[in-house]
Amino acid sequence: MTARAEPSGARLQRLLAMVPWIASHDGPTVQQVCERFGVTAEQLAADLEVVWLVGVPPYTPDALIDVVQEGDRVWIHYAEVFSEPNRLTPDQAVALLTAGASVLALPGGDTTGALATGVAKLATVLGIDAAQVLDINLGGARAEVLDLLRQAVRDRRRVRLDYYSFGRDARTQRDVDPYQVHVADGSFYLLGYCHLAEATRRFRVDRIATAALLEDSFSPPEVGDGGRVFVPDGDDPRVVLRLTPAARWVADVHPVESVEEQPDGSLVVTLAIAAEPWLERLLVSLGPEAAVVDAPDELRGTGARAAARILARYR
Amino acid sequence: MRWPPTCSTALGSVRTVSAKLERLLNLTALLLDTERPITAESIQHQIVSYPRDLASFRRAFERDKEELRSMGIPLRVDKVPGTMPAVDGYHIPRDEYALRDPGLDTDELAALHLAASAVQVEGLPATDGLLKLGGIVTQPTGADLGVHIAPLPSDPNLAVLFAAVAARRAVELTYHGQQRTVNPYRLEFQRGHWYLTGFDRLRDAERNYRLDRIDGRVQPTDLDPFSAPETPALGQARGAWELGDETPVRAVVRIDGPQVRWVVQHVGPDHIVSSAPGDGPDGAVIVELPVTNRAALRSFVLSFLDHAEILEPAELRADLVQWLEQVS
Repeated sequence: MTARAEPSGARLQRLLAMVPWIASHDGPTVQQVCERFGVTAEQLAADLEVVWLVGVPPYTPDALIDVVQEGDRVWIHYAEVFSEPNRLTPDQAVALLTAGASVLALPGGDTTGALATGVAKLATVLGIDAAQVLDINLGGARAEVLDLLRQAVRDRRRVRLDYYSFGRDARTQRDVDPYQVHVADGSFYLLGYCHLAEATRRFRVDRIATAALLEDSFSPPEVGDGGRVFVPDGDDPRVVLRLTPAARWVADVHPVESVEEQPDGSLVVTLAIAAEPWLERLLVSLGPEAAVVDAPDELRGTGARAAARILARYR
Repeated sequence: MRWPPTCSTALGSVRTVSAKLERLLNLTALLLDTERPITAESIQHQIVSYPRDLASFRRAFERDKEELRSMGIPLRVDKVPGTMPAVDGYHIPRDEYALRDPGLDTDELAALHLAASAVQVEGLPATDGLLKLGGIVTQPTGADLGVHIAPLPSDPNLAVLFAAVAARRAVELTYHGQQRTVNPYRLEFQRGHWYLTGFDRLRDAERNYRLDRIDGRVQPTDLDPFSAPETPALGQARGAWELGDETPVRAVVRIDGPQVRWVVQHVGPDHIVSSAPGDGPDGAVIVELPVTNRAALRSFVLSFLDHAEILEPAELRADLVQWLEQVS
């Protein structure tokens, strides 16, 4: 048996919140207290045993906190010294308000319900205007598209998307079995099985022009954190780039197949190129921070050609 | 207790923890209850569970003070009135300690709990705060946001900046190697990063600072609180070109027809100033963008390849040309 002791700090924090709550309620049940404060009945019993030994000078019986347990109910008396919990720390306040503001900021989120009034009450005791102090933007997406996708994920219904593929610079219509909507790095994504690509793909929600529910339903597989989705096709051409230290982030955000550290802090990476416009964008946006080390014939000079096309507009 | 500990001391260690907990609770109660600062000597005398030996007491008392402060309890040191020479005393002012009851009902607590479960800031436990607000209440029906939200990144300066924003107190920070004094207006989460929007007192202008690019720790100041920010929160996503601390400039960009639908969604309709002369209803548009991050504007324009062009100012056109001439 491992009778691992809970650290006294965690117990103290809990007790400083729990004692005022029990004291201000007329005999809540043990089960209610356990649920509210996330403890087992045994932990609660051990906590209350300690409370019973606490008081203020002159430590006479009426100056000691009294704990009464009758049946499954519990009362705390003479706990005026702990009549209020401690204030939220800045850490706790920022974590709670960020969570509240994030959910309220979801496109199409309910801005009048219990969460909105809860956040407003919390902001009032903190003496702030929550919307002015914390501005959370998880990503851009149209509410009607996002709502439809969330519903489709819940109901396991196939959707038809009119999607602008940035990498290919082309609009396509795709039928997708939506597995999950997720937010990462400032954008909403739909993860699902694409019947056009015949593979699992990740779609940026803000590039979905329209989405419609289809009649077909599907059984979703287990979805993990939705992170790595793009699996390079074995037949895609490979390009080797040398990235200066300022462009090392490329290796973090794009699916690179190999990374070699160089003594000067630059990286040599190998990328699978599914579409040429994608490589064009990457190279013109990196400018002097990337150099092509090796590329198949059809992709040689891609960056320079794209740059020349753009420069033609400026001359 | 025997030392080194063996299996049989498991219960003993639980008892030790309870004894320490009892002492910390009694210390908190004593310091909250007292109307004037009280001396360490008096604390040792009143709380019988402290060691009687002076050196042991001092060590235990130091650790206890540290522990209470680390959980945000305002344990203050002040001179004990009427002592000569002055003697340090300890107390916890109730008005700084006590949380005013926000009066959250169970639906509101449940909604906050659901939000805190769905959206986490890395390393910041949200449920600790909920305990103080009335505990954890779970929605009876398995409510589901239908969106999986990856934990938001944290930052070592997030809490101190939040406290400064809430108190409207200026802070000092180092950004791009320069010392700045900033009236912190608000914290923004944009495009996957935390930003501070504030008024830079030296530059006499509003600026954005990306938190993970601030050097070292932000220092609070005791300058007088500033009045309400002049510019309200945007309440919407900002373009990357707006998230910088460079001298602002207005960029005029022409976007070709096929890209317009996507650009309107990206920059927001407010920034579309006109359709370009000579083009039909589905043709090109002119967008005007406030720029404080020139590199981000360049990346944005280049993401359209040859379907976009910076029209003004000449400075940004020249930058872009020079950049493209270096493409490999």
